[in-house]
Amino acid sequence: MNEVLPLDKARDTALFGSKAVGLGDAARAGLPVPPGLALSGEIVEAVAGGDESAIESVVQSAMPLPRPLAVRSSAVDEDGAEASFAGQHLTLLNVPSTDELPSAVRDIWWSANSDSAITYRQRVGLFTRPSVGVVVQALLDPDVAGVMFTQNPMNGADERVIEGSWGLGEAVVAGIVIPDHFRVDRSGEPLERKAGLKRVAIRAVASGGTVEEEVPDEMVERLCLDDGQLQELNQLALRCEQVYGPARDIEWAFAGGTLYLLQCRAITRTGR
Amino acid sequence: MAGAPIELLQRVPLFAELDPGELEQIARLFKERRFAKGETVVMEGSGGAAFFLISSGEATASVGGAERPTLQPGDYFGEIALIDEGRRSATITATSDLLCYGLTFWEFRPLVEGNGIIAWKLLQSLAKKLRAAQAD
Repeated sequence: MNEVLPLDKARDTALFGSKAVGLGDAARAGLPVPPGLALSGEIVEAVAGGDESAIESVVQSAMPLPRPLAVRSSAVDEDGAEASFAGQHLTLLNVPSTDELPSAVRDIWWSANSDSAITYRQRVGLFTRPSVGVVVQALLDPDVAGVMFTQNPMNGADERVIEGSWGLGEAVVAGIVIPDHFRVDRSGEPLERKAGLKRVAIRAVASGGTVEEEVPDEMVERLCLDDGQLQELNQLALRCEQVYGPARDIEWAFAGGTLYLLQCRAITRTGR
Repeated sequence: MAGAPIELLQRVPLFAELDPGELEQIARLFKERRFAKGETVVMEGSGGAAFFLISSGEATASVGGAERPTLQPGDYFGEIALIDEGRRSATITATSDLLCYGLTFWEFRPLVEGNGIIAWKLLQSLAKKLRAAQAD
């Protein structure tokens, strides 16, 4: 179906992909998700093909969203596709305006049809036509961001494991910093605080895209989260477990003093 | 306008036997794709399912490390991948910002399967290519 919907209306993974529907579940449950849209695989294909009515529909729907935009893929074609294609499909952070949105959507469509994605599909016996939905959200300008496991992924212990760094969470996800490492028990009590080496922060730039910014010396080894923020993260972990079930892998960000949920998926493996 | 310009398609031997109406059907299936200067467009040995026509910009090609002639507007690559899902036979790197039109295996195949005339003309083009290769 040729559809663009607000994230909280996205319910069908066969149309919108698991990332979009996962964020839709979060929005419906009142979790703090940045505002956004889900684009079906069909409308992504139409936009990539230059269909003017599809482009108009996407651009008009995105007009009310705060800029800049984060544009992410949401694979729709196979079970577990998000995990399978992590790293294959494109994410475009900091698309400055809706004018650039159609080309961002087209780039994501092509990322699902790129040679590396095709090679991967051939290797795992999935040589089928790719279908990719897209999530368009307001891009946050976080002070600090990172990942959180609602149970310890190394030993299965019933505790939160949190890694964070300055700026956008991609610095943690892409492994370009040694993030701060925290363990927190179910009451929110910190069990461990270990400062990392956070020499760079990824920030959005006004003209679009992102840049690696040098972190001032005094912040490189300073803990990026205080106990109050750890408590907030623990509360977010509890709410995510209520909505999605146990053992979640969460991407989060603090921007302007508010905690946001960026993604919540199942932990794919624990040491237990 | 959606799709690739017909005049670009007319330069591709694989499509040489097709009339303007048939070419237009294929042209509509192409999608614009842009590569930044320095970007690897395709990598020798990797899988591939898309055929590209260069509309503007330039790219270098190499096979087994040996340089091949520069690719320019009107040049194309990857047409056999539309049919056989095979490996890329060259590495192509954009030497300027590159605007291409790309067509994937998944869009091309249903068109050919549903249109015997186009399929036959493609076979004739392939037969010519085969004879030319045997004569080399």
